[in-house]
Amino acid sequence: MQTERIKLTYDALVIGGGIAGGEAALNLANNGYKVLVVEKSLSVGGKMIMLSKVFPTLDCSACITTPKVSEISRHPNIKIFTESDIESIEKLGEHNFVAKVTRRPRYVVEEDCTACQLCEEACPVIVKDQFQYGLVGRKAAYIPFSICSPKVAAIDIDNCTLCGACEKVCPPGCIDFTMKAKQYEISVKTAIVATGFELFDPSTVKRYSYQEGKNVITSMQMERLLAPTRPFHTILRPSDGKVPDKIAYVLCAGSRDDSMGNPICSQICCMYSIKQAQLLMGALPMADITIYYIDIRAFGKGYDEFYEQAVSMGVRLVKGKIGKISEKENGNLVLRYEDVSTGKLKEAEHDFVVLSVGAKPNEEPQSLFKTQKLELDNLKYVKQSDPLLSPAKTTIEGVFVAGAATGPKDIPDSILSAGCASTEAISYLNS
Amino acid sequence: MSRLDTKFGKKLKKYGATEFNRCYNCGTCTAVCSLTNSEDSFPRSMVRLSAAGDQNGIESSLKPWLCYYCGECSTSCPQTANPGELMMSLRRWLTGRYDWTGLSGLFYRSSLVTIIAMVLVFAGVIGYAAYESFDMERIMHTAHYFEMFAIMGVFAVILLPNIVRMWYLTVIKPGYKLPVKVYASSMSELFIHMFTQKRALGCDDNQARWFAHLILVIGYLTLLFTTVFLDWFSTESMFVVVLGYVVSAIVFAVTFVFVLGRIKQKQEIAKHSRPSDWFFIIWLLLMGITAFAVRLFIDLDLLAGNLWLFLFHFTILAQWALIIVPFGKWTHFLYRSFAMYFDKLQKSK
Ligand SMILES: Cc1cc2nc3c(=O)[nH]c(=O)nc-3n(C[C@H](O)[C@H](O)[C@H](O)COP(=O)(O)OP(=O)(O)OC[C@H]3O[C@@H](n4cnc5c(N)ncnc54)[C@H](O)[C@@H]3O)c2cc1C
Ligand code: SF4
Ligand code: SF4
Ligand code: SF4
Ligand code: SF4
Repeated sequence: MQTERIKLTYDALVIGGGIAGGEAALNLANNGYKVLVVEKSLSVGGKMIMLSKVFPTLDCSACITTPKVSEISRHPNIKIFTESDIESIEKLGEHNFVAKVTRRPRYVVEEDCTACQLCEEACPVIVKDQFQYGLVGRKAAYIPFSICSPKVAAIDIDNCTLCGACEKVCPPGCIDFTMKAKQYEISVKTAIVATGFELFDPSTVKRYSYQEGKNVITSMQMERLLAPTRPFHTILRPSDGKVPDKIAYVLCAGSRDDSMGNPICSQICCMYSIKQAQLLMGALPMADITIYYIDIRAFGKGYDEFYEQAVSMGVRLVKGKIGKISEKENGNLVLRYEDVSTGKLKEAEHDFVVLSVGAKPNEEPQSLFKTQKLELDNLKYVKQSDPLLSPAKTTIEGVFVAGAATGPKDIPDSILSAGCASTEAISYLNS
Repeated sequence: MSRLDTKFGKKLKKYGATEFNRCYNCGTCTAVCSLTNSEDSFPRSMVRLSAAGDQNGIESSLKPWLCYYCGECSTSCPQTANPGELMMSLRRWLTGRYDWTGLSGLFYRSSLVTIIAMVLVFAGVIGYAAYESFDMERIMHTAHYFEMFAIMGVFAVILLPNIVRMWYLTVIKPGYKLPVKVYASSMSELFIHMFTQKRALGCDDNQARWFAHLILVIGYLTLLFTTVFLDWFSTESMFVVVLGYVVSAIVFAVTFVFVLGRIKQKQEIAKHSRPSDWFFIIWLLLMGITAFAVRLFIDLDLLAGNLWLFLFHFTILAQWALIIVPFGKWTHFLYRSFAMYFDKLQKSK
């Protein structure tokens, strides 16, 4: 059955509600343009909203992201579609784009839900929590995470047993299993791609033992362990809940590595590892922290000083890329590496290992554009048609790009590029 | 003082290593190599010496011989610098350095020269046969003695001096002064490795290849022994006849599997076959087949009418004994075993 598409009109479409998309939307909205933000997950905020504190200022990420997110959510000129997919975007002419969008049902009426969490309590189903990167469980009826936006429950229909428990306890009665996907046809004058980046999946590298080694986690998982909204309120290693005291960081895990299919530097992992090391020193004053690196890339303003600060705090830095991680019976891990400063093969035992996973391109935006080709560069990031002088321009006139969609970026650079993209979009709108 | 040769990288290209300059010194290769240890850390150290063009450093090192080319380092290298192939190329280069005649290096660098040498040997065999008016009896007789003298001659004139040179470069020149007692007591290392190549077992997932290798070495040595000392082609002893058939078939079968591997290029080691690798494996294969065929023709009373087959076998034999054994890949087997011995000497210090 083909349902009628709901037709809407905006000035600008922003694809992706991470920090770059949010910033671009805000700039446009503050200049009087009507903006639609389409976000595929249940909450806006992207990766930044999940972080602990941010380099180089060590500001609490939640504390600076949430005000920004609520400003976006409440802005009269901004409409946000979460849990939504763009099926296609067609360019019919200059200032004339049509996007087909589907809003997937979350089975909870957004306007009525008070986020009381009673459904969560009632639900008997427990699955891994993707927003905590699998560190803990969540229910099939759940609030994505404590600072999500919109703060509304959702039903994970794939895991739901349709027992009806949540429906019974929900005070406003807003759980609705008959909810259907809604189809939209949206006319806009310009579009900004802010689809961000993906994280390298270390389970593809067997010698890192990410899957077998219970105490080998990714840096994103460590961000969760360190965040103010963290699951355990302290740092615990997964195998036995022990507070670790010898933590290792494996840098360039899935970056600068042909053999892992990602030849470039991810630009953020040196810095966020140094940041996490500093935070760990605060959280676990007795712990030894070692960072195994090839080169430390601390090139931004204040970054090298941030690195020096970590060194002076006592973070150990060892030059040598980890080749192999093997798990011992007690859950500790043996790291094999060549200590490049002495040229000797060494093995070191740690009780917790963090893989500083790199950034990978999100190739999705290419397939969204139907009439004209949104080109990707040779590394599959969105191609900038003029990277030097107009870094926000794509290969389609009137479509701009912001944030990590064009390549790995930290937050300051993502914000800068969002500013650039929104300015370019405004010039285009007025041309 | 070591002298650095800035052109060394270019030289090494001719021995097969082309990508090692991409190395950014992460140490992954050393960390994943299952044969490396904290005393002998490689292959990155050798990549470094090669990139710097430190020929003295390479010459005095035994590390290239400690690698059995499992290829693990190459598949894990972030820069696809192919350290495993560099180690192989260094073995070729070292073979050239040890060889006082300089022919090894020449053959490694140029397939053309190798082919010319092969053709010359072929011409020699045919010339000799013509000289004997293609008298089968006499040619067979000579072939038998040729084999015996070639082995002894090559060993005395080429291989022994080369091993002495290797000893000089790796033990004496770097300044190891060791009492004779140590030389004697370390001797066992030499023979164990020569016959078992047991070190290769240390490579991960290498049991099958090691076993095939072991069979090949035993098969090859037995074939040599059967033809040279038991006079397989003229013997009356049933036991020797059958033994000859079995070992030549084994040599043929195992080399056939290796050739297939090099064609299919599934394993890392098989991906970078050089002419010297092909010569070695194909000639070994041909030795197996032709020896088998010659004895078969004798048993079927067909050889008299098929002199060409014997000449073919003789040519293969002569090329093997005069080119591949003294100057080609065969020597690796010898140098490897001596490397283990010299390594033991170095460590006894
Ligand atoms: C472990 C870790 C720690 C970090 N720490 C720091 C730090 O301390 N300081 C710092 O400056 N930077 C840090 N960063 C980098 C920071 O996360 C990025 O700079 C930032 O997230 C980039 O923002 P973005 O909006 O471009 O992309 P993202 O955060 O990836 O957001 C993209 C958004 O687009 C959505 N999306 C994707 N595809 C589609 C689609 N097809 N349709 C609709 N929506 C889509 C996604 O769901 C997501 O919400 C860290 C990164 C990691 C991995
Ligand atoms: S109906 Fe589904 S979501 Fe609601 S409580 Fe039951 S299992 Fe959980
Ligand atoms: S930022 Fe550092 S850890 Fe990340 S890829 Fe670059 S060098 Fe490696
Ligand atoms: S793994 Fe590759 S890049 Fe790293 S040290 Fe070895 S050869 Fe160099
Ligand atoms: S090929 Fe294998 S044995 Fe040789 S250096 Fe590389 S990992 Fe070590």
